[in-house]
Amino acid sequence: MKSWNELENSSFFDANARERALGMVDKGTFTEFLGPHDRFTSPHLPVLGTAVEFDDGTVCGVGLIGKHPVFVVSMEGKFIGGAIGEVNGAKMVETIHLARKVAKEIQEKHPDDYAERRPLVAISFETGGVRLHEANAGLLAHAEVMDAIQDARHIIPVVAVVGSKVGCFGGMGFVAAATDVIIMSQEGRIGLTGPEVIEQEMGKDEFDASDKALVYRTTGGKQKYIVGDCNYLVEDKIGDFHNALADVVTIPMDEIEKMRRIGSQKLVKEQQELVQLVADLQPGDSMDLWKHFGNEDPAALPNMTTADFLKVVKRRVRP
Amino acid sequence: MALQTLEFEFKSANTQSISKEWSHHGVTGSGDMECLMEKKDLGGGVKAKVVTPVKGFDKVWEKMIGKFVADTGVGNVSIEINDDNATPIVVYMRLRQALAEATAKEAE
Repeated sequence: MKSWNELENSSFFDANARERALGMVDKGTFTEFLGPHDRFTSPHLPVLGTAVEFDDGTVCGVGLIGKHPVFVVSMEGKFIGGAIGEVNGAKMVETIHLARKVAKEIQEKHPDDYAERRPLVAISFETGGVRLHEANAGLLAHAEVMDAIQDARHIIPVVAVVGSKVGCFGGMGFVAAATDVIIMSQEGRIGLTGPEVIEQEMGKDEFDASDKALVYRTTGGKQKYIVGDCNYLVEDKIGDFHNALADVVTIPMDEIEKMRRIGSQKLVKEQQELVQLVADLQPGDSMDLWKHFGNEDPAALPNMTTADFLKVVKRRVRP
Repeated sequence: MALQTLEFEFKSANTQSISKEWSHHGVTGSGDMECLMEKKDLGGGVKAKVVTPVKGFDKVWEKMIGKFVADTGVGNVSIEINDDNATPIVVYMRLRQALAEATAKEAE
């Protein structure tokens, strides 16, 4: 395992779930809940002859950023594609609930400087959604996570952190959309149906999953940043994600609410306007949309470094 | 269909245990495995438990873990492995890495 200092300068994309969890919070502050030593594995996988993992593929715990407790959920894409089942789903749900309870306690104990101590939930998504082996239990876990996020709303920020290999797809794409703030790197991807599945169902003419540039233009961090589906675009470094979280912990809750993309009548209207725009424009590629939002040379954007991209990019202006 | 659980015991010439109480390494990815090592008073011996979907390789597991114990001289350690079709050489490599992790000083 790399040291914290090494982790800060390491690629977020290449890091495993535990490395990401450790590196997203301040040095030496991370404590894991139900770690590998607790051996809390899935009860459903052994009967199906599928390999198990001691942490069920998700690392949960708490660390600090400054005085802010940061509750971390970090998914491991190498274990069954990061899919969510009963055990890792329950870990995720309870971590969010715990963050909310801790917020209440801190508010009672430190009413004067609560703003400096307000907790935050950071979820590092690397998942294809429901773990099909666990069928209903996996689906139920998704619903419970949605509920937990809704319960935390207006109380503590719930932040989606997306920059890992598998991306964030399936049911967990919905869950990421339901968070308050989304932080991505250009390597991160969010969607509902993954590229391979679209190709399989609709054919190569509809979506060529082997065309990586197309896949990233459609689901990647830069596209999400331009359209407004993500709030922060950062370099692929664990330390940069850490810094972005350090920014979010300081933002007041009413400002956090404005960073959401769904969850109110007004936001539904905004999404409908975006759908209408796409229907009117009939874009053949994401780049047509980027041009519409004021990027004169959209074809130059994909190859830019994140720093250069952030200097020149024009984003959709939110109403 | 169900997962296999294999258990082995080895005698070690050495009683040199790991420095941490327990240590974890790896991910149960496809073709890979994870390993949990724990300090345990086993009279110098090593206990190993392997959970794997693969059938018919009990002897290979025993040989590979036995070689690891003989090569490293580790003792008084319980080893638990969750495997997902790792090849013998990957198993050996992961065990060596796990041991390095378990004996490493706390990183800065």
